[in-house]
Amino acid sequence: MGDEGDRVNCSHPIDAAVLADYWLAALPHREEEVIEEHLLGCDMCGARLREMIALAEAVRNLAREGSLRMVVSEAFLERAAEEGLRVRQYAPPPGGGVQCTVTAEDDILIGRLAANLSGAKRVDLCICDERGVEQLRLPDIPVHPGASSVAFQESITYAKAAPTSKMIARLVAFDEAGGERLLGQYTFNHTRSLPGPGAW
Amino acid sequence: MQIELSDAELVRKIGSGNDREAEAELFRRMAPRVRLYGLRHMRNEQAAADLTQQVLITTLEALRVGRLREPEKLASFVLGTCRMTVLDLRRGAQRKERLLEQFGADLLAPVQPSIPHLDHEQLTRCVQNLKERERTVVVMTFYDEQTSVDVASFLGVSEANVRVIRHRAIHQLRQCMGVAA
Repeated sequence: MGDEGDRVNCSHPIDAAVLADYWLAALPHREEEVIEEHLLGCDMCGARLREMIALAEAVRNLAREGSLRMVVSEAFLERAAEEGLRVRQYAPPPGGGVQCTVTAEDDILIGRLAANLSGAKRVDLCICDERGVEQLRLPDIPVHPGASSVAFQESITYAKAAPTSKMIARLVAFDEAGGERLLGQYTFNHTRSLPGPGAW
Repeated sequence: MQIELSDAELVRKIGSGNDREAEAELFRRMAPRVRLYGLRHMRNEQAAADLTQQVLITTLEALRVGRLREPEKLASFVLGTCRMTVLDLRRGAQRKERLLEQFGADLLAPVQPSIPHLDHEQLTRCVQNLKERERTVVVMTFYDEQTSVDVASFLGVSEANVRVIRHRAIHQLRQCMGVAA
């Protein structure tokens, strides 16, 4: 990210996170006024704000691509649908499995993992291979306190490239003493429907 | 070596007569700043460009007739004009055509967008490397366009906590992208 065109060396640069709050209209009115007055006289902070806007736009585009492996909110799915993105969802029952695939037209791929999340202080999502060996752990995933499921987004880029294979997801909760408790295990039997290699 | 005029000197030069160079410098200096204000409040490139033109013309009109009593307060004056103009634009009061005729299109050339480009692959890695909650807050904020209240409700934490997580994530992303906080 460049700072080309700066005319002023600012002695009190505005923190990038505060500039983000300004961009998000999340600042109190008085604080916003102070920031705006500063920005109207400071090219350096203006450049920093442009960097912030670029970051916000780039994150938005990245999220829209569906390539982030993460837990998403219902608002995310609603937003994707509003934007005309094609969301493919699978919801295997706890302890069960589901046959799944992904097509060239799909934009977002979601695994909906039903579980009783009440009382869980911390929940991890473990991604395992077909033998159940943990390959990846998403620690302390965000879970809505009253939710009955977790919406896990698998990278659509990964899924479109993946050969026919089996993936096991596990939700585990931790109690106060740090003990691990299985909340649910979910098997995704992925069948490749796009042309490409049969194996990695 | 060219010595840059202060805002106050610029205001005085414009007020003292038909100084096209000073007027052009006013546009060069203020247009990117006003455009940022426009982007923030209008959320639209074209609307921000329209706002920039109108604000700078209004400012120029005022400076030509010496209406700005305290020249060192140019930034405050422009900010006030930005606020009034946003209200005008929202009310649908369009003066653009008249002003274009009066001032000419050469002075009012649109400000080129100057939002920097980010390396997509690097950003993907940086976002993926955030902690789960940080990534969720960033995506819910910038993509889902959820307020801190909504994000707080989803995460089961306080609004202040969401702000802390967001700030930390932004600093980490900037650091990961090679930019100072």
